Amino acid sequence: MAEIRNIKSGKLGGEPPRESMPRRLAAIVAGDIAGYSRLMQIDEEGTHGRVKRIERDLIEPSILEHHGKLVKTTGDGFLAIFDSPVEAVRCGIVIQQNMVGRNASLPKHHWIEYRIGVNLGDVIIEADDIYGDGVNIATRLEGIADPGEVYISGGIYEQIKHKLVCGYESLGDRKVKNITDPVRVYRVLPDAAAYGRTRKRRETVLISLLSLTLLIIAGGVLWYLLGQPSTRVADRASAPASSQTGSSQTQPNPAATQAAPSSQTAPPAASATQQAAPNVQPVPPAAPTAPQAMPKQQPAVPPQPAEPKAGVASAPVSPGTPGAQASAVREPEMLPLRGGTFAMGSNDEASEKPVHQVTIKPFAISKYPITVREWNECAAAKACTFTATGKDDAPITNVSWSDARQFVAWLAGATQKRYRLPSEAEWEYAARGGTQSKYWWGDQLQPGLANCKNCADAPGAEQPLKVGSFKPNPFGLYDMGGGVDQWVEDCWHKTYQGAPSDGSPWSAGDCSSHVIRSGSWKNDATYVRPANRDSYDTNVRYPTHGFRVALTP
Amino acid sequence: MNIIRLVMLCAALTMLSFAAQAQGKPAGKDAVLYFVWPQNGTTIKGGFWCRFGLRNMGVTHAGDNFQNSGHHHLLVDVNEPLNPNEPIASDKSHLHFGAGQTEARIELPPGKHTLQLVLGDADHYPFSPPVVSDKITITIK
Repeated sequence: MAEIRNIKSGKLGGEPPRESMPRRLAAIVAGDIAGYSRLMQIDEEGTHGRVKRIERDLIEPSILEHHGKLVKTTGDGFLAIFDSPVEAVRCGIVIQQNMVGRNASLPKHHWIEYRIGVNLGDVIIEADDIYGDGVNIATRLEGIADPGEVYISGGIYEQIKHKLVCGYESLGDRKVKNITDPVRVYRVLPDAAAYGRTRKRRETVLISLLSLTLLIIAGGVLWYLLGQPSTRVADRASAPASSQTGSSQTQPNPAATQAAPSSQTAPPAASATQQAAPNVQPVPPAAPTAPQAMPKQQPAVPPQPAEPKAGVASAPVSPGTPGAQASAVREPEMLPLRGGTFAMGSNDEASEKPVHQVTIKPFAISKYPITVREWNECAAAKACTFTATGKDDAPITNVSWSDARQFVAWLAGATQKRYRLPSEAEWEYAARGGTQSKYWWGDQLQPGLANCKNCADAPGAEQPLKVGSFKPNPFGLYDMGGGVDQWVEDCWHKTYQGAPSDGSPWSAGDCSSHVIRSGSWKNDATYVRPANRDSYDTNVRYPTHGFRVALTP
Repeated sequence: MNIIRLVMLCAALTMLSFAAQAQGKPAGKDAVLYFVWPQNGTTIKGGFWCRFGLRNMGVTHAGDNFQNSGHHHLLVDVNEPLNPNEPIASDKSHLHFGAGQTEARIELPPGKHTLQLVLGDADHYPFSPPVVSDKITITIK
């Protein structure tokens, strides 16, 4: 260990010669009593005596033990200089720990606590004082230290960090008065208690940041949730567009454009407006020929699966159509059926028993399920309670049995024709297409013939697919089986025991649920069988439930 | 450096929550869906009244967004796991009680059957977290 030279020259009052202004790199320890004035006010003589004793018994011996030199004592503090940073910090720790012992028996407001700052700097050594930035920094460090703590500068830290085994808490860079560059400050943690205080502080910061994050997340989620219901409800139950459907035949229905927000068509042609544009109908090629082939009392109405992108969709209207009547509305494309007797039910399920003979009177049924476009005409006329979103030639979904009845009531009123829901017997008769096999095409499931789960070739498409995406059955009807579930008029009975045999709907009994047919794209192939039947609550909507309409001639 | 790490941790936590959002309405953790009747292991002759129990939530009709309420669905012999991002299926093994029913007359063919209740929100989506009952097994004689 190097010795410290005795730098006291003993000369008093002499001007220090310029060339003998030695400089040295040294560790400066500055100590100060916290709240000295307060202590003096409480007990002047007692405090003074104690401070003097401490200096004599603790400060001076500690400095000497650590090979340092006491430069000076002020009234309430001291300044010491060390060759070794390690020794300097050790001395500071020793002093502080001793002070804890000395204060142990006293009440807190009588405690004498030092603040100690240690800095490494190149300083000017003079007879009885030291000067320089190094000293000032040490003093400032001591000034910002907490009572009972030892604060060290970055320079000291670098020297002792691996030599003096204790904890160090970085307090970052502090701007120090009258010093240009900020000083890196560390707090020495000589024991577990000090360490505990540090951890606590860090924990507090972490916890507060975490709770802030969670609050923001919670706020965001709440915002999203509160926003959601209004949009979902608006989907289903929004009032249709305000303009009224003109009942006069000269008025094309302008409301459809406003009613269907996703519709890209111009106002659909009513019978009065003649658009001669021939239609390109890629999907159902048979459609244009069918109306001509069956020139019954049905007017040829614009087929609905026409591409909406093509603009106005219409078909040539045969003359003598009852345009003079109230058919300003677009009527669904209907297929007349001759009727006859067939075996309804099957032995595959309990609900489809017993198989029984039913005689169907002639009637017409829509070729496709009712589409979004058709539904929205009803919505525009304010006869149906919500406007559907979705593509125009997709089947309407999310309708309850009551909704379907509203539609047919409106359609019947608007056209003055006997539109209605088909009865269950009529539906099954139409779905079988004159066959008695398990499926209308035979007894085996063939892929690509129906839109059901695991039976179509095109998974991943946006469901529901547009109407008429698959081959029609032998009657020429599309989507009888798979696609969308279709409401019929009958109330639900768990078997056919007591069912009518004249094709009329079975409307007796518990009508809190009604029969729903066809299965949907979400159901497997057994639901595609024409005999398959299911039930659902009358007034509840579900995203795969739609319907088609029938017409009494 | 510490501050930067802290900020990144907070940001990561925020992202996590948005990713994990399911479709259904939220439900309290204390909601309990259970079978009043039948109980697990019961043997029944013929048809029975299946009675649904719900604690700490209410039953309402489908289509109603009244908070903390939903409607019952009974799953019969269903083995696929519930998909929280789709509405509960509507078919012969997923019975919907969208009118707010709390019991139903059930008739099943003889043999062992599993029953499970799932509560659906206004749009038939499971709640988040899903409110489901235990899956019970009964025997029909």
